[in-house]
Amino acid sequence: MQPIYRRILYGFILLAGLVWIFVSVDKTGASTAGRVPAPQKGFLAPDFTLKTPTGKTYTLSELKGKAVLVNIWATWCPPCRAEMPGIQKFYQQYQSQGLVVLGVNATAQDNPLDIVPFVTQYGLTFPILLDETNDLGSKYNLRSLPSSFFINRDGTIADVVIGGPMSDALLQTDIETILKSPAN
Amino acid sequence: MLDLFRNIFAPPRDLILLAAAAWIGMSLAEKRAKRYHTDKSLLSNLIFYLVLAYLLGGRIYYALEHLSAFAQSPLSLISLNTAAFDSFGALAAALIVGFVYGQRKGMSVWPTLDALTPFFTLLAIGIGFSHLASGAAFGSETTVPWGINLWGAIRQPTQIYEIIASLLTFAVIWLRKADSKPGSDFLLFAALTSASRLIIEGFRGDSTLILGGVRSAQVIAWLILAVSLVALELLKPRVVPVAVVEKVEPVIETKRNEVKRKTQSTSAQKTTNVKKTAPSKTKSATAKRKSPKE
Repeated sequence: MQPIYRRILYGFILLAGLVWIFVSVDKTGASTAGRVPAPQKGFLAPDFTLKTPTGKTYTLSELKGKAVLVNIWATWCPPCRAEMPGIQKFYQQYQSQGLVVLGVNATAQDNPLDIVPFVTQYGLTFPILLDETNDLGSKYNLRSLPSSFFINRDGTIADVVIGGPMSDALLQTDIETILKSPAN
Repeated sequence: MLDLFRNIFAPPRDLILLAAAAWIGMSLAEKRAKRYHTDKSLLSNLIFYLVLAYLLGGRIYYALEHLSAFAQSPLSLISLNTAAFDSFGALAAALIVGFVYGQRKGMSVWPTLDALTPFFTLLAIGIGFSHLASGAAFGSETTVPWGINLWGAIRQPTQIYEIIASLLTFAVIWLRKADSKPGSDFLLFAALTSASRLIIEGFRGDSTLILGGVRSAQVIAWLILAVSLVALELLKPRVVPVAVVEKVEPVIETKRNEVKRKTQSTSAQKTTNVKKTAPSKTKSATAKRKSPKE
């Protein structure tokens, strides 16, 4: 191609690029992930209501204004076991600052009889919830155990950590991030 | 089909796709190294150091950003959590290490970048597949018939657009004839990749917005595209250094003389052969001419 035609083509490409930037301007704010619930960073954390082994009920939306860590685990999962002491440690450390930890047992794929001994063995003091029908599993697109969702005070997901065990530094960093988040 | 793929390569297994793409990219880059006058082993070493620097740099930068947490548990530095990673730090470390290694080994910038282009294109394809598996880099809500169900809505399949664009870029680069201008393959890759990002970003549902809704990634992509196109125009054909010409010229001259001498001697031999054989041929010809009369 002749240099002059090539330069005209390049100029046209750049001009078209500029036009596209202004055509695809996001006026509705739809590109900021919106406020729809989805188990992804930036989205609203999908709501759920689950019971503890003692029958107490917890609903996520009722915890708005608090920093929440939802950790999904099973007794047979080695990385879940490995990260439990860390979660318990930081729960004790940051509970007074408004941290809520919900340890959701994937009961649909676990032996319910193993849950209470597991909790006693690791001395877990945060609420343990039972996902017996895989309701939370499907809402949170659960594909790997453990899975952790760090939820800001305004109910949006700050970080998702799939797989584990989470290192103490990562846990602390993400917990401090959600604790610093504004309530609205 | 898509659900099956997403189940198999759900995070953190999506990293398998990235690793596979990097490996194939490295093999292809090595295969093409000769074309860019680049040493194959130097190139594979460079890729190894780039990857290593990327991984270490990403973790170290993240640790520096959250120094107090890592100071309390230094062992977290060697944890396998991919979330404890900073892409900006990773990229900066890879660039610095790549530059230093290239300088120390005397590698020329443009031919090396050209030789690395197959690696970069394959990596871009791998990133697309990884996004598709993890659901990252998702599209905005849409009503188009080819929309995919993701994160609670029917969305533009931006990850699939990304894969198609990267595959096309790879095809263009790989099937392209060798260019005499060093840097042209890399700049073409940069131009095509930024152009596709510029287009696809318009369909994304997770863009960072600036100035009344303008997507910042599009502005950056447009700038990279402009720089790449201008640089492509300014590239000059490969020039053999004067020192090399001076060394090579006498050798070529001697060879030329040798060839000339050989051709001269063979043509001289041929003439003598013709002279020797010519009388007999004439004789037989006369004999043949004579025979009908007899």
